[in-house]
Amino acid sequence: MALFNEIKPNEVKNSDKIKYARGLLCILALIFCAIAEAGPREQAKRIHDRLAGIPASASVLDEMATLIEQGDVSSAAFIAMDNSTFYNVTLKRWISPWTNEESDIFVPLNDYTATVIGIARDDIDFRQILSGDILYTADPNLGLPAYSNTNNAHYEAIESQNIDLQVNLVAGTQSSITGLPPEATAGIMTTRAAARSFFKDGTNRAMFRFTLINHMCTDLEGVQDISRAPDRIRRDVSRSPGGDSRIFINSCVGCHSGMDSLAQSFAYYEYEYDVDSDPQGDNGFLAYNGVGDIDPATGTRVTEKHLINENNFPFGFIITDDRWDNYWRFGQNQNLGWDQSLSGSGSGAKSMGQELANSRTFAQCQVTKVFENVCLREPQDGADRQQIESMTNNFSANSFQIKSVFADAADYCKGE
Amino acid sequence: MKSSILLTTLLFVLSGCGGGTTEVTEPPLPPPTDATPITYSGPPAATADIQQFRIALWDNISPLDRCGGCHAQGEQSPTFARNDDINLAYAEANTVVNLDSPSDSRMVTFVGEGHNCWLSSIDACTDILTTWITNWAGVAEQATDIPLEPPVARTPGANRNFPTDPSLFANTVYPILTTYCADCHTNSATIPISPFIASSDLEEAYQASRSRINLDLPADSRFVVRIGNEFHNCWTDCTANANQLIAAIQTMADEIPLTELDPSLVASNALTLVDGTLATGGGRFEENIIAKYEFRAGSGNTAFDTSGVEPALDLTLSGGVNWVGGFGIQLTGGKAQGSTSDSRKLHDLITATSEFAIEAWVAPANVTQEGPARIVSYSAGPTQRNFTLGQTLYRYDALLRSSNTDANGEPALTTSDADEDLQAALQHVVVNYDPINGRQIYVNGAFTDDIDEVEGGLLNEWDPSYAFVLGNEVSNDIPWAGTIRLVAIHNRTLSPEQIVQNFDVGVGERFFLLFGIEQQTNIPQSYIVFEASQFDSFSYLFSEPRFVTLDGDATISSVELRGMRIGINGREANSGQAYINVETTINQADYQAGFGQPLSRLGTLVALEQGPQGDEFFLTFEQLGDFSNVVIEADPPAPSLPVDLEPQSDIGLRNFAEINASMSALTDVPLTTPQVQEDFITLQQQLPSVTNIDGFLSANQMAVTQLAISYCDRLVETPSLSSRYFAGFDFNRPANVAFDSVSRPLITTPILDRMIGIDVASQPDRASVEAELNNLIDRLTTCGPADTCDAQHTRNVAKASCAATLGSATMLIQ
Repeated sequence: MALFNEIKPNEVKNSDKIKYARGLLCILALIFCAIAEAGPREQAKRIHDRLAGIPASASVLDEMATLIEQGDVSSAAFIAMDNSTFYNVTLKRWISPWTNEESDIFVPLNDYTATVIGIARDDIDFRQILSGDILYTADPNLGLPAYSNTNNAHYEAIESQNIDLQVNLVAGTQSSITGLPPEATAGIMTTRAAARSFFKDGTNRAMFRFTLINHMCTDLEGVQDISRAPDRIRRDVSRSPGGDSRIFINSCVGCHSGMDSLAQSFAYYEYEYDVDSDPQGDNGFLAYNGVGDIDPATGTRVTEKHLINENNFPFGFIITDDRWDNYWRFGQNQNLGWDQSLSGSGSGAKSMGQELANSRTFAQCQVTKVFENVCLREPQDGADRQQIESMTNNFSANSFQIKSVFADAADYCKGE
Repeated sequence: MKSSILLTTLLFVLSGCGGGTTEVTEPPLPPPTDATPITYSGPPAATADIQQFRIALWDNISPLDRCGGCHAQGEQSPTFARNDDINLAYAEANTVVNLDSPSDSRMVTFVGEGHNCWLSSIDACTDILTTWITNWAGVAEQATDIPLEPPVARTPGANRNFPTDPSLFANTVYPILTTYCADCHTNSATIPISPFIASSDLEEAYQASRSRINLDLPADSRFVVRIGNEFHNCWTDCTANANQLIAAIQTMADEIPLTELDPSLVASNALTLVDGTLATGGGRFEENIIAKYEFRAGSGNTAFDTSGVEPALDLTLSGGVNWVGGFGIQLTGGKAQGSTSDSRKLHDLITATSEFAIEAWVAPANVTQEGPARIVSYSAGPTQRNFTLGQTLYRYDALLRSSNTDANGEPALTTSDADEDLQAALQHVVVNYDPINGRQIYVNGAFTDDIDEVEGGLLNEWDPSYAFVLGNEVSNDIPWAGTIRLVAIHNRTLSPEQIVQNFDVGVGERFFLLFGIEQQTNIPQSYIVFEASQFDSFSYLFSEPRFVTLDGDATISSVELRGMRIGINGREANSGQAYINVETTINQADYQAGFGQPLSRLGTLVALEQGPQGDEFFLTFEQLGDFSNVVIEADPPAPSLPVDLEPQSDIGLRNFAEINASMSALTDVPLTTPQVQEDFITLQQQLPSVTNIDGFLSANQMAVTQLAISYCDRLVETPSLSSRYFAGFDFNRPANVAFDSVSRPLITTPILDRMIGIDVASQPDRASVEAELNNLIDRLTTCGPADTCDAQHTRNVAKASCAATLGSATMLIQ
């Protein structure tokens, strides 16, 4: 009975499968016999499982259990995070869905994911993810394909060779690696991966919407406010979709009034690619009109995509620069908790990213995402919501270091 | 007999049910019905202009069913339709026309006031008369500067506004409508006639009725005027019926509190849309027009051809077709179709020139319809046509039968998919055809750059028996959903300049609204002027405000203006305030004589409430001159607490990446081992993608099992790994002896230690798992005569023991 030798797993015979399945089912059933109460060893196991993604070795488990017993759950959690799989597995899978419109978790490692992982590893202020001139690449001594503005080969090589991200990621700046002017860098929003997903085609509003979804934890419906001034809504938005202006007055305007005035910060960006030979944009690159770069179609630094469909409503707003204003600082979206030390206006994606990242909602969103990733569930009741509040306060007090949030969440959900 | 009663009823219904537009649609006297054409046999025209008068105007108005019935020789003066001497008719006609501004001709305005329109729509009659007079004048009506007319100064009054809830309407006016109007004004009527004020759907009836009820002056309500003054289908006595309606509306109004203007507001004077100066100054290029639809009737079942080219190709509305405010029809599965005999004029006049243009203002309802969905068509069914303008998703299609295409007009010319020229927004679209350039499509004044691959051909295969139709195929099976605001057919192509000209003129009726602000600015006759129009059935478009003084001698002193808002019916509109951020100073330097000082190039929509007759607009300012009203927005209420969720599981699954990493960690087989890496890539999408334990499927378990087998296979078959992991176990012994009581723990103990862990109570009970493993090994090593129990089988049993544990909940659950 040549069962395993030289055969692929999916070629196992049915009769054999049945035999082993029986064994599996018995063992599966045993889990439910597990006792409900969790002591330090059980808590240590869960914390390690949830943070590192893998079971702890016997010695690590002992070490963590001892710390927990001593009441130092946080140190135990940091031991679990001192593991390459926290970066290569847990964080990579946590971040991957933010990098594409489909929220696909199976996408290859890319500069967006690697940069957030690096920011987490190095305890950099997490708010930098929306404004920093920062980019993480692999150690150049590893002999991998170099970072390229026109492909993702560098990061795919890191992944296929299972390079330890905890050890081998190196911090750099976008301005020095990609050549983007420093003032045009805006954290992950100006990475190649984000540009390919959210600046490709369209009107760059996708970058705003998905930043809102992924980093403010709300889609546009959640911030809809029809009472804001519609004076920044561009000409391409139909005021009478399908001949019924009620849809615009009661719905479209609620999102576009705030969004268009903020997304104007992306006015100078474009993702350029060859639509015929490379329709997916695999070899495209992020383009930016710096000072003196005049787009021939617009006669300004504004990219052509911002003036498309100008006859849908000729009386709409015409973008001439990248000035943004946050209309949501008033009205119901005041509740998003904007930073009163900022002005609520500016030019370009960097300062707009700061506006978002300095809000209470941004911090709370990161905390909630960590909570869900570690506790394997949504916050469900008053106690959980209180915990989110408390973790958000800690996040702020800990200089917005995301690992501290993971430690807090692991403690809360370690089991009792 | 029955059928004649039915016919009579039908005729009564048709003639009686009009609709509720604000226009008076029935003339005071019925026109003569004799349509006998007049054969002229008098003296010839003395001049070229008289001959032009005869061709352009007289031939059209002289029949007895039009002006010729009364204004002929020996009858009512002026006798401009006399048929004894065209030169005398010309002299008479000159007293009632204005060739510089045909629409202002007395002949036109008199008919507009209700004097014997020969059609059921006064607007249609005035439009056609204007066209005929324009044709006589020999020049297209030119766009002209519109002199602004100061409105009567009126301060914004207290108003009653319709409540959102229709229950008050349901208890007062609605019962009268459902009792007396439901035979026609419901969409389920035999011949449904919009507006559906008596719809069985209360909300629909309420929406349709609001613009026909005047809460402040019930007697001025359109419902009342229609019955009391126009005698439209009174159910007993018109006056009594009107009073019944007034009483019902008054009852409704009494329950609605007055909305007083907030005294702290800095407000301009007030006016309604129709108090404004009409801004439509003509200017469309229509020299070769042969059919034209502007949908100005606003009610009834006929869309009139107002091209003035006989025979009028009027279209009958059927099925899902509604009139929309601001002129237009909305198609929802229905169609507007002309008779085949009247449609023949398209065949005759287009084949005579071999070229034509289809021009339309359309707003597709969506970008998902295809077929192509028929927007404008001259055809006989799904596969036979002379021409069609259609929609396929984001594309316009132009189908044309010629000597180089088939009977269905194919191959079609289609706009580029990537360009997405068609949008679900109001668009101006033109299809040009001539034999040299073939088909060309223009959208919003611009050529779409789509080149017709088919050479231009002859139109001699056109079939004159087809029918002209909008919004559907004549066979009713390929509908188009959307709104049509204007359609024109020209029997010459439109030049790019003419297309831009017609696009720039726009569509619908526009007004200049002059909001008086003299009181605040102290500048004589000073106004903020908006261009305003009814945008569709639900909103008004306000655009391009400017400061103007009508006093040419006025000195423009410096006036600060900031935070302008549009008010409607006694309060500021709660959305669409596009001028809040306007901040400027009115001053002499920026003031352009004859135009004013522009304040903004933006436009905005204001929701329609009571209709263009009833909605009263005004402006407010945070700062205007020395007057100010500081607006401080209140803090929003704190968001309500989220609802508690059902308790969720405290434990979950490992996801695909965690499973892979865990198996590697538990077996010491590196992730980069080629076989496991390859198997993981194959299996990763079948492994759990989320940690939710409720979503676990048998397919997930199969993938987990297969990956576990892959890892255990590599563990056992890699000597450097297996000798360390299963230290001391002899893999070279046959299976029936290799797992004796001494050697067996060398397999099971490391598996249990590593995979279950030591002293972790949340893991499966170690003794139970061990017992199961022993059972498994016993079963697999019971070798009968038919089984091979060699050293290879020994390794297989070790792999099975490993995989059974690795692929189980002990690893999977976290």
